[in-house]
Amino acid sequence: MVKIGLEVHVAISNVKTKMFCGCVNNVVAEPNTNVCPTCMGMPGSKPRINKAVIDSAIKISIALNCKVRNKMFFSRKSYFYNDMAKNFQISQYEVPLAENGIVEIDSKKIRIRRVHMEEDPGKIIHIGGGIINADYTLIDYNRSGVPLCEIVTQPDFETPKQAREFLDKISSVLEYLEVYNALREGALRVDANISTSGERVEIKNISGFRDVEKALQYEITRQENMTRRGQQIIQETRTWDSGSNTTKLLRKKEHEEDYGYITENDLPMITIKQSRLDEIKKQIPEMAPEKVKRYQKQYRISKETAISIAHDPFLAEMFEQVVKKTDPEITGKIFAGVLLKTLNYNNIRIQQTNIRAEDILDILEKLEKKQITERVAELALRKIAEGKNTEKFLRDMDTISDKKQLKDIIKIVLKKNIKAVNDVKSGKPEAMNFLLGQVMKETKNRADQKTVREIIEKYIEK
Amino acid sequence: MFRDITIEEFLTRSANDDIDYSDFADYVNRETEKLNKKYGFLREVVKLEMKKNPEKITKKMFGLPVSIKDCICTKGIGSFAGSKILEGYKPVFDAHVVENLKKENGAILGKTNQDCFGFGTFSVYSDYEIPKNPIDSERSCGGSSGGCGGITKAATFPHISIGESTGGSISSPAAFCGVYGLTPTYGLVSRYGLIDYANSLDKIGVLGKNIFDIAFSLNIIAGHDSRDSTSLKTEKKDYTKVLDKPIKGIKIGIPKEYMQVDEKIQKTVWNAVKKLESLGATYQEISLENTKYALSAYYIIATAEASTNLAKYCGLRYGVQNEIAKAESFNDHYKKIRTKNFNAEAKRRIILGTFTRMSGYRDQYYLKAMKVRTLVINDFKRVFKNVDIIASPAMPITAPKFSDIEKLTPMEHYQMDVLTVPPNLAGVPMISVPCGFVDGLPVGLHLIADHLQEEKIIQAASWV
Repeated sequence: MVKIGLEVHVAISNVKTKMFCGCVNNVVAEPNTNVCPTCMGMPGSKPRINKAVIDSAIKISIALNCKVRNKMFFSRKSYFYNDMAKNFQISQYEVPLAENGIVEIDSKKIRIRRVHMEEDPGKIIHIGGGIINADYTLIDYNRSGVPLCEIVTQPDFETPKQAREFLDKISSVLEYLEVYNALREGALRVDANISTSGERVEIKNISGFRDVEKALQYEITRQENMTRRGQQIIQETRTWDSGSNTTKLLRKKEHEEDYGYITENDLPMITIKQSRLDEIKKQIPEMAPEKVKRYQKQYRISKETAISIAHDPFLAEMFEQVVKKTDPEITGKIFAGVLLKTLNYNNIRIQQTNIRAEDILDILEKLEKKQITERVAELALRKIAEGKNTEKFLRDMDTISDKKQLKDIIKIVLKKNIKAVNDVKSGKPEAMNFLLGQVMKETKNRADQKTVREIIEKYIEK
Repeated sequence: MFRDITIEEFLTRSANDDIDYSDFADYVNRETEKLNKKYGFLREVVKLEMKKNPEKITKKMFGLPVSIKDCICTKGIGSFAGSKILEGYKPVFDAHVVENLKKENGAILGKTNQDCFGFGTFSVYSDYEIPKNPIDSERSCGGSSGGCGGITKAATFPHISIGESTGGSISSPAAFCGVYGLTPTYGLVSRYGLIDYANSLDKIGVLGKNIFDIAFSLNIIAGHDSRDSTSLKTEKKDYTKVLDKPIKGIKIGIPKEYMQVDEKIQKTVWNAVKKLESLGATYQEISLENTKYALSAYYIIATAEASTNLAKYCGLRYGVQNEIAKAESFNDHYKKIRTKNFNAEAKRRIILGTFTRMSGYRDQYYLKAMKVRTLVINDFKRVFKNVDIIASPAMPITAPKFSDIEKLTPMEHYQMDVLTVPPNLAGVPMISVPCGFVDGLPVGLHLIADHLQEEKIIQAASWV
């Protein structure tokens, strides 16, 4: 029986400064320039809490249906590591921000154990190798003190796929809350606990959802092989090596860290009033599940299409702008179809492109008026998604529906492809598609497909 | 010209333009060098440089010399907290207290020797010089703010010293050197810029030759600071206003648990209490029942916090870094640096403090000690419903000889804090007031008040 639990670390992006000091909450700078005595842990420095971080973390807790504590404090989690400015991390232990939440994924309900806040350590850059065999290591403290929210689940996942689904869901939620920037490096990092037939194994610091799934799958196979060979699986911590797609031993149980938690006495107890919770609750926007319901009702688009669009708040926002003025069915089809596919293919998010609602609207209007063919519309959207200008492309792309003009072109195509013509005659439908394709190629996709088909059929019947 | 003038005289003369500051600085520099050579009060001397008739040397302090405990950050001036591991650390910022002193034209005279990180009662755990008691140089100045106490006693010029107390580190040197030493309420003086010993206990305070010096200095260093989240939002007070205000009707509590000390010390303290009685105060015996647990709770909490605070000293970002080329890994580097540069007492407290917060022991030690702390606080809160101030000896002994200190076991050493630890655990203000001598050595009367009632102990102290 496979049991998987996740610890998800989210870098909170919507606050201006770091968690305990006035440095900018942005890691993109020359190494070790976005630092101050506090985030460098200089002797004599003191932390002070950025209240906006608490607000963002509360927002997350509410969205994950957690119960937020009204009183809480910070703790020191002690361990020696070179990315840790103080060799302890200010985190939360006995009393976290929130507990006992539920997140629904397609296949089941996942229980959230706790949500807490903590500071990010600096960043380590290994030179000449990985964590185990590097020649030397550089440390950049720009990230030190960046606010993190940690979401800890119960061991409710039974498959790596469920874990992946959960992460997809969580990232959508976080984006809707506008507390998280998926494009930021290391914006979401995962530790996974997995037990199959023996003790619990922890896999540390996996970034990327696909890698989480891969790491868990690898670990299941590894553990199954061990069991088959009669070996015992004992508690240990492993690391995911995305280079070799394997997990590697970091430390065994007897070398596990004892974090020796004590309270962080530089920061007083935090009290959260009900009025503050109510205020934050009001800021939570319409999220994907509600949008899916609304889209089906309001635009009469299919559930699948609605889910595809609503999952991504940036895509959904653009969809809602465009759909006001166009046919919902076509718009939905275009968004969930060619647009999403092109974005995924290029591994890019809509907010990273230059796509504007007006551009999409322009293309969809032309399509509706049959000024361009569906194929041309697709190509134009792809061009926009790839950051290219479509004006020139669309200039000579009006649909050719003039029968005489089409007949001339078709005659030539048929003459060149006698074999295909005969195939059609002997009842091979693929041949028809081939001929259609040839005509489209000849017309640079501008031919009105329906008309072309009619003409070809007529010719062949003769 | 300047020999033995008081701060009050210095301020009056300054206000009347009756000081040649260049002469004054020369005198102070000369005296400091002489005293420091003999007693080793300062780890680092900062030479005063003053013009004859400076244009802007007004403000409240008029260039009054101030020595600062080494664990308090001074911008551009070494701040090593008495430890070799921090050698070379020059903070890029001033502590809040130092800022305040500079704003009022306080002149930094140097950094005082101390037990490393405040770990001690006699300053013998300094990695630099061990300050000698100016009354008898074979004896200790007390600690951990030993250099502060010694230089305050010995200075022949107007001067105050900024010290720090976690479990009694201001009261001890004040008592042993025969000067006044105030430990304010936790949070009254910002800890921003203090190199932490135990964050929930550390308090910056002041040592001075007389009670005016204390009240005057507290006016300058007290006040809210947003950079220390535990800094209290209190209204500004003028603590000099209560000096010499009649104490008729003030109720003094004498805790029976605190009077089990050397008979001669007891007698000296009783004499002081009787004197206050003769001026109209009344006294009664009281009981602080949890006193017997306070010392153990203190050493658990203080070392637990200290062991996390000291983790950052690993020869990576500041302080000593000499082993880096020879290390095999960062862990190896840390090990080498920490083995070599922490002294035995620092190591003892790291081990103790790490042990008490380890899983499996945490509940029995750290968490239990936190509960005991609450009981100790409740003791004080209960007693202060009936009395205004508590009076007791500050230390169970007078300044010991170094040769006797050597014979103490660590446990006996820790027991010297038995009288100062409970009020420090409770975060209430306390002052050690010179109240007489035993065999030629000074005795400190400890006056303790409820949170933020500094005025009460300053007022009473002005009559001792």
